[in-house]
Amino acid sequence: MKPITFALAKGRLADRTADLLESCGVGCGDLRANSRRLIIDDEKNGCRFLLVKPADVPTYVEYGAADLGVAGKDTIMEANYPLYEMLDLGFGKCKLCVAGFPGVREKQVTSAVKRVATKYPNIARRYYRSLGETIEVIKLSGSVELGPLLNLSDEILDIVESGRTLKENGLVVLREVFEISARVVVNRVSLKTKGERINAIIEAMRAKVEGRS
Amino acid sequence: MTQLSMQAPEGVQDYLPLECHNKIRIERKMAQCFHLSGYEQVDLPTFEYLDVFATGVGSVRAEQMIKFVDSGGHILVLRPDLTVPIARMTSTRMKDQQPPIRLYYVANAFMSRDSSPNEQKEFTQAGVELRGVPGPEGDAEVIALAIEALRSAGLEGFSIDVGQVDFFRGVMEEAGLTGPKADELRGYVDRKNMLAIELFMNENGVSPGLRERIMRLPVLYGGEEVLGAASDLTQNARALSAIDTLREVYEHIAAFGLSKYVTFDLGMLHSSDYYTGLIFRGITDYFGSPILSGGRYDTLTADFGCSREATGFAIGVKRVLIALERQGCMEPLPRIDAVVSAAPEKRGEAYAYANALRSNGSRVAVAWKLDADGLEAYAREVDAQAIYFE
Repeated sequence: MKPITFALAKGRLADRTADLLESCGVGCGDLRANSRRLIIDDEKNGCRFLLVKPADVPTYVEYGAADLGVAGKDTIMEANYPLYEMLDLGFGKCKLCVAGFPGVREKQVTSAVKRVATKYPNIARRYYRSLGETIEVIKLSGSVELGPLLNLSDEILDIVESGRTLKENGLVVLREVFEISARVVVNRVSLKTKGERINAIIEAMRAKVEGRS
Repeated sequence: MTQLSMQAPEGVQDYLPLECHNKIRIERKMAQCFHLSGYEQVDLPTFEYLDVFATGVGSVRAEQMIKFVDSGGHILVLRPDLTVPIARMTSTRMKDQQPPIRLYYVANAFMSRDSSPNEQKEFTQAGVELRGVPGPEGDAEVIALAIEALRSAGLEGFSIDVGQVDFFRGVMEEAGLTGPKADELRGYVDRKNMLAIELFMNENGVSPGLRERIMRLPVLYGGEEVLGAASDLTQNARALSAIDTLREVYEHIAAFGLSKYVTFDLGMLHSSDYYTGLIFRGITDYFGSPILSGGRYDTLTADFGCSREATGFAIGVKRVLIALERQGCMEPLPRIDAVVSAAPEKRGEAYAYANALRSNGSRVAVAWKLDADGLEAYAREVDAQAIYFE
């Protein structure tokens, strides 16, 4: 029987997911053995785990290299692939926000188009389009808060957990755009071809998640 | 022009002999399958006026089409599928032909798809269009043909996942959801996004009874038993009649002995509006996206002024090819049977001999520059028989 392959976002999400899966009887002790191995097999349960960069989880699932994956809603929205998003795991919570300096900053005459620094160019384009605003997206990979500080951008679109980084840099949340949490996404074909096993795993996780809350 | 011109643009590819051989091999097998089922092959222009595709038709959005402008200022597009051009053709040039009309094609289509990584911009489709056969008979005919075509290509372990857009529309009618609201929900159901569905129902104040039913839409997939579960969900006439159609189609397929290939998914809705009834996708363990897509689109031809029942499907040839390779079903290139050379005065004789072998189906290459020894060496290299006339 072909294994069920999970793509997990390296880091905190993978750890929490491993806890959850273990409590559902899907053993993956090796996941936290801190090894450099990228593929971890759990032959007893017919499962295989890929530890990948968070932003790559939807890609592995879309291509069918993984049958299902756990990633933040932000990553899934940014990738915007036709995946089945089947379960909210309720952890990894944060908010996708637009942030900037409080009040109206003096605008430069030449900046007619709002510049938005973000790790999420696709979400930014879709979001501002829905507001009918024309923007220039400035793609950054981290420390997005620097954008307004250096006058590189007018606003930022980023995830906010505690808000501390914003606060320490004099920025405030201007608008909350979306509630983010960890989601289970499933490849469209795998859900049918390996449906029984995948559904059993998802239902077990659902029972745990809903039982907890 | 520097190094860029050394490579093909992203999204297109060269087919080198081995891959090309296998691609053409499965295309021919599928074409033969369509041909033997009474379908006639057609070929259509590679590009069309944008208007042809601008009827709001298809899953293709305008920005995904590859466009250019002709000298008269008209916007042209490389065809993103064959279904719409064939609808144009059958509604105009073939409008006086008595139905049923059965057509097939093996042709390239073009789409610029940034958001979907699994796709090429130029891709070959093998498909059929059936006009003038309404109802379950027509649906069952094309589904059976889809199964036979994939089987003839050598694919194993695949299934045809069948849905019915009218079921969802009926349930929406019953729920009193229309227009953009229903469209929004359709997207969530199609992606089986339970959370979004729940939020949607909170925001729109859907009644508890209805809410429970809508929550079950995304999980209405599996074997024939799904149809029973689906009809328990609704009293809407349109939705129930959609289920009846599926049952009838299933009866046909079962009678053909093909029921093991068919599964159902009533939450599958496709993104497009042009489907009016039954829809289906081909899926296999060996590929992460559907390898085949089809359905009924009775109103599409009306957009071209000649309304006629229509159904059909298109197979993604490259996807099937990848699945076949993963199954270990690639064929090696057929070998060359013989190489022929001759002394100058014997060339006529040698040429005639080579042709005689060819007419029996042998592959014979010539190598006029080689003498007897050279030919021997070359023949060993390509594992062929050396035939030298001296």
